[in-house]
Amino acid sequence: MTQPPVVDVRSLHVRFGEVEAVAGIDLEAYAGQATALLGRNGAGKSTTMRVLAGVVPPTAGTVTVAGLDIRTDTLAVKQVTGYCPDVGGLVPRATPWEHLQLSARLRRLTGWEDRARDLLERFELGDVMNRVTGGFSHGMGRRLSVVLAAMHEPQVLLLDEPFDGVDPIGVEATFEVIADARARGATILLSTHLRDLAIQACGTVLVLRGGSRVAAVDASEMAGEEGARAYRALLD
Amino acid sequence: MPTAPSSTEVAVPPHTPEGLLTAARRAVVDVGILFRFRRQAVRRRHLARVLSLVFLGVTLGVAIIPAFVPEAGGPNKAFDIRLLMPSAMAGFLVLAMSSAIASGGGRELLSRDQASPYPVSPTTDHLGALLMAPLNIAWMVQAWVLLGSTAFSLGHHNLVQAQIVMVLWLVFSTALGQVMAWSMEAVRRCRGGIFVTRGLLVAVALTAGVVQLTGNTAHVLDQVPTLWFFLGAIDGWSFRWALTVGVLLAVTAVAVVLGAVPTHLAARRMARDEARMETDLHPPRRLPRSVLGILVRTDRASVWRSVPMRRGVMVLAVGPGLVAIFGNLPWSSMTILPGLVASGGALLFGVNAWCLDGRGSLWRENLPVSPLTMFDARAWVLFEFLATASLITIALGALRAGMPNAEELAAVVCTVVVVLVQVVAAALRWSIKNPYPVDLRSARATPAPPAAMVGYSARLATSTTITSLLFSGAAHVPDWRLSVTIAIPCLMWSGVRLVRARDRWCDPVVRARVVATTAS
Repeated sequence: MTQPPVVDVRSLHVRFGEVEAVAGIDLEAYAGQATALLGRNGAGKSTTMRVLAGVVPPTAGTVTVAGLDIRTDTLAVKQVTGYCPDVGGLVPRATPWEHLQLSARLRRLTGWEDRARDLLERFELGDVMNRVTGGFSHGMGRRLSVVLAAMHEPQVLLLDEPFDGVDPIGVEATFEVIADARARGATILLSTHLRDLAIQACGTVLVLRGGSRVAAVDASEMAGEEGARAYRALLD
Repeated sequence: MPTAPSSTEVAVPPHTPEGLLTAARRAVVDVGILFRFRRQAVRRRHLARVLSLVFLGVTLGVAIIPAFVPEAGGPNKAFDIRLLMPSAMAGFLVLAMSSAIASGGGRELLSRDQASPYPVSPTTDHLGALLMAPLNIAWMVQAWVLLGSTAFSLGHHNLVQAQIVMVLWLVFSTALGQVMAWSMEAVRRCRGGIFVTRGLLVAVALTAGVVQLTGNTAHVLDQVPTLWFFLGAIDGWSFRWALTVGVLLAVTAVAVVLGAVPTHLAARRMARDEARMETDLHPPRRLPRSVLGILVRTDRASVWRSVPMRRGVMVLAVGPGLVAIFGNLPWSSMTILPGLVASGGALLFGVNAWCLDGRGSLWRENLPVSPLTMFDARAWVLFEFLATASLITIALGALRAGMPNAEELAAVVCTVVVVLVQVVAAALRWSIKNPYPVDLRSARATPAPPAAMVGYSARLATSTTITSLLFSGAAHVPDWRLSVTIAIPCLMWSGVRLVRARDRWCDPVVRARVVATTAS
């Protein structure tokens, strides 16, 4: 790669009391590329995503996003990222439109309404945009989280388990969002347990185990039966 | 075509439903299991033990000490209080009922979501709620007032017998409150039930208003059947006292058993107001001009679209106000109300203020906004929530108290401001220190586990009561500037604590812990 990485993580450590959730992860992700984070539960995928979203500060190591240091420029990092958290991600008593309004106001967006409506329609959420999200099904919540992450066309799109419990139409719409983001030169990081979907959506796959990176391979190497065996071997 | 089981199939015996008695016994055992499960989850057991001892000590103190102060059991003030005791007993019953009704059947021993994988019967739920009922600031304070008034009005003569009856009255009132609450909940969950229950509440309020306006309050209070119980309580070791105790034990047992019936009925029906709140449409509104404005609007929606908060604040605002009207509370005593209301309001969500965002807190934390602005918005929304309730209470109390003089007005205004800042500072400090993952969807949800709620209740009750008493005293001094002079250091102290909490919120490590906990 000749261009510098948009997301550059060096020796990242995250500790919660006695528990070391991330134990020295190195990661680079480039503009116009989608990178998948794969691994078992507790491998450190979601914690890494939270660090990149500026939600959890790193205990040690260096993390830069779009050239911004996550420790010192946290607010600016939040400005350039779009984040779909692994759990929920929605304020229970606010409507989808109110979520979008909040995001738009805080990011100083103008003329965002048409794109927001289009995204809601693509994810089949147009009919419920004025209903509070507390009554949403899990899949609806996931789909809205992807809409919220993508609405402001962020430079770095962080999708943590976006396919979890989502129907095929939602999965397709998420693929479109990822493809659109790649086309406009954004960097995408996708954390999921669904290897097949990760391979379809991403060009590179990073496998995490026990809070560390154990492999960084081309997505095609993880495809098919051979890929499944290789992935299984990396998890053990 | 039905076939007989093959030799490799195991015949499944048909399920036989449990008998009523077996089910009841099982429910009682399950309450014990759930209680122990909850107790295991208490983080600071030593503190919980200390708080339990403090509660016991205070209860014993208020039940005994007033009987030995000068004038206790005497012919003047003590006699006046004795005359009011039957009304006070009725007042406690009303409080127990309204509190249980407001919380949709009482507090949960285990939250709905947590209990969903387990076979917890509605009877267990009902008994658990009964057990949880005293873990409530209003219940505790009123119980102490009743016990203390009994002790002072009677003196040490027949004190033990009277207090036994009073404790039984507290238990009976709580059990009957549960029956009423579950019955209301069962009705509320029927088609059109919300309108029926609201109609009932309006009818009760109108009746109370008519009684008050026609000057019949004293006459009505004289007719309340609690007089029979009070006369039995003060009769010493006698057949009449034993009969009173026996009747109270019997009606309490009936109420406890009877409560299971509407609980089962309610459990079979959908909570309509929760469902309505989640399916109501909220048409888009124009964007506020400022960042703080939209954060406040989002937080405000989270508060006012929550069933437990709407119900809770209504009871908190109107209940003490009606008590002030019926009790003809003078302005100098009205200083006690804002503290009570603000403390109760903080216990609806303020003590775990960041739980408002639920699982959305992770997404919100990724929004590019200063944590200080987020904190300010949350603090403001909590402040206005508590202020709304306190001002409604004061306004209701003012209907009968007439025009205050300058000293009284200054005392009440200063109390409201000081107590609100005091409660907001404490609540936000605790919210950062001890966050809990809770979902405030259910009318029965509380922002923290029961043991923590007791601790918060006790601390809030103590601090706000002391503040209120300070200003109550100042209202009697013929110089309004005294209240202002007292208010300034109090505000500075609470202000410093609020600023410290705000600074703490700016620490990304602290914030990450709060966000990760509330979103989990």
